[in-house]
Amino acid sequence: MPVGLQTEPSLGVPGKKRWAMVVDLRRCIGCMACVCADKAEYDVPLGVWRTTVKVKDTGHYPNTKRHFMPRLCNHCDNPPCVRNCPTQATYKHEDGFVLQRYERCISCRTCIAACPYNARHVLPKNRDRVKIGGVVDKCTFCNHRVEKGLAPACVQTCLGRSRIFGDLNDPNSEVSRLVARHKTVVLKPDKGTRPQVYYIKPDRAQTEQVFSAPQSYAARSDAQAFYQRNRGSKFFSGVL
Amino acid sequence: MFEYMDYNIAPWGHEIVIYFFLIGAAGMTFVYAAAPVVFGNVFGGAAKSMEPFQRVGLIASLVLLAICGPLLIMDLGQPARFLYPILYFHWTSPLSWGSLFLPLFGLCIVGFYYGSIKDNQGLMRWTGILGSLLALSMPLYTGLDLMVNQTRELWSNPTIPLLFVILSMSSGTAVVAVIQLLRGQLDQRAAEFLHAFLYLSLAVTFALFLAEWVVLNYGTGEKQQAWEIINQQFAFKYWGMTFLIGILAPLVLVAIPKLGRDPKILTLAAVLSAVGAYSFREVLIYAGQLTQINF
Repeated sequence: MPVGLQTEPSLGVPGKKRWAMVVDLRRCIGCMACVCADKAEYDVPLGVWRTTVKVKDTGHYPNTKRHFMPRLCNHCDNPPCVRNCPTQATYKHEDGFVLQRYERCISCRTCIAACPYNARHVLPKNRDRVKIGGVVDKCTFCNHRVEKGLAPACVQTCLGRSRIFGDLNDPNSEVSRLVARHKTVVLKPDKGTRPQVYYIKPDRAQTEQVFSAPQSYAARSDAQAFYQRNRGSKFFSGVL
Repeated sequence: MFEYMDYNIAPWGHEIVIYFFLIGAAGMTFVYAAAPVVFGNVFGGAAKSMEPFQRVGLIASLVLLAICGPLLIMDLGQPARFLYPILYFHWTSPLSWGSLFLPLFGLCIVGFYYGSIKDNQGLMRWTGILGSLLALSMPLYTGLDLMVNQTRELWSNPTIPLLFVILSMSSGTAVVAVIQLLRGQLDQRAAEFLHAFLYLSLAVTFALFLAEWVVLNYGTGEKQQAWEIINQQFAFKYWGMTFLIGILAPLVLVAIPKLGRDPKILTLAAVLSAVGAYSFREVLIYAGQLTQINF
C-alpha cells in the first residue's frame, strides 16, 4: 500500500512486473557503447543524453584509478517527478516504467528539479527529423522494446554484460538472482525514491553526492569555467 | 568525458526568480489595497489609512500580475499549453494549485475594482477576503514548489514557504511606500501602518535567515555542500545584498523609533528590504539547484 502521497508500488506486488536494471561495475569498461546505442535508438539530439557513463578519476599519480558508472533514470518505485508534475505528463506504468507523455508536457522543468539523479533533460525545440521537441525527455527503460520481449538498447549493446535487465518480481530472473546474491547499492536511498537501478561494487566517490565533485584537473577547470560563466543565471536560454 | 557534465544544468533560471518576486509583491500590494474593507475597524481602524491607496493599489497589483502571467508562460518550453496544469489538474503538485489560484486572484482584483467603482460594499468585502487569501497563496505556493522537492535539501525545508510569504510582505510594503510617497499621500498614519508590517516582516526575515544559517551548518552533507556553494558562488548576494543591504540595514532603520516612522526613511528601508527579498530568493533558488550538479 502506498503511504501518504507515494505512488502505488510495483516492487514485490504479486501479479505485477517490476522491471529493474542491475549494473555490474566490475564488468563496465567505459566503452560508451550504451550511450551510443541509446542515442541511435531515440535520435537523441546533441548536448543531451538519456544515459551516460560517468567517469571518475581518483588518487594521485602514479597511484590513480579510473572508475566508470553508467547512469540513467532509476525508474523509482516512488518517483518524486510523478508527484510534482502539474499536468500528469510524467506517470508511472504499473510495471514500474516511469514514462513521459510528450503531448501533455509543458516543460515547466519541475520534474527536473524533483529528480535527484539528473536523469531528465529538455529536448531542443527545432529538430530536423524527429518532431518531438521543447518538452522534457528521459530514459524509458526502452519500454517499447521490453513490451515486445526485447532487452533495452543499452543492455543489448553492452560489451561486458555490465548492464542486466529483468523483472525483479520474478525470483528466477537474472536481476533477482544478482540482487539476492550480491551486495548491491542504489543511489541516494535516503531520498525515499526507491530507485530500481542496482549497482554491484560501486565506488563511494560515485554514489555519494558530497564526494561527487570533480577531482581531476581537467574536470575541475571545466566546473570552474561553468560557474564563472553562468553563476546560476543562464541555465536554459541556450536550450529552449 | 563525463566527470563534469554541463548538461546537468539547473532547470530554473532568472525568469522564475523574477516571477517569484513579482507575484509576491503583487499579492501583498492587493492585501494592502483591500485592507480597509477586509479589516475595517480591527486594530483601531489602522487599515483605514490605506483608503487613498485602494484604487491605485489595485491597478499596481493588476499591472504586476500582467507582467507575471506572461513571464511564467514564456518560461515554459511549451507556452501554448499554459492551461494544461488546470485542464489536467494534478492535486499533488503545488504548481497546479498555483496555476489555478493565479487567474482566480486576477479575477478577485478585477471584481474588487468593479465593486469600488460601483460602491458595492458586499462585492468588495467578498472579493477582498477571497483575494487576500489567494494573494497570500501566491508566495506560499512558490515556496511550496521548492519545498516539495525532498531531493534538494536546501529547499526541502518547511520554513521556505513561510519565508517567501514574509519576503512578499517586504516587497509589497515597498510597492505601497514608493507609490504613496510619489503621490504625496504617505502621511503619518499610513507610515505608522506600513512601519508595523515592515518591522514585523524584517524581524521574521532576520530570524529565518539565522535559522537557515544554523540548519545549513548543522545539517547533512548536502546541506553543508549548499552552504559551501552559497559562500563560494553567491557570497556577495547572500551576505552583501541579502543580509547587510536587505535585512540588517532596513531593520536598523525601522528599529530607530524617530527615524523609522519618517515616510522617506521608511520608504528607503522598504526598498532595501525589497532588494533583499529578491536577492534571498535568487540565492536560494540557484544554490538549491547547484548542489547536485556534479552528481
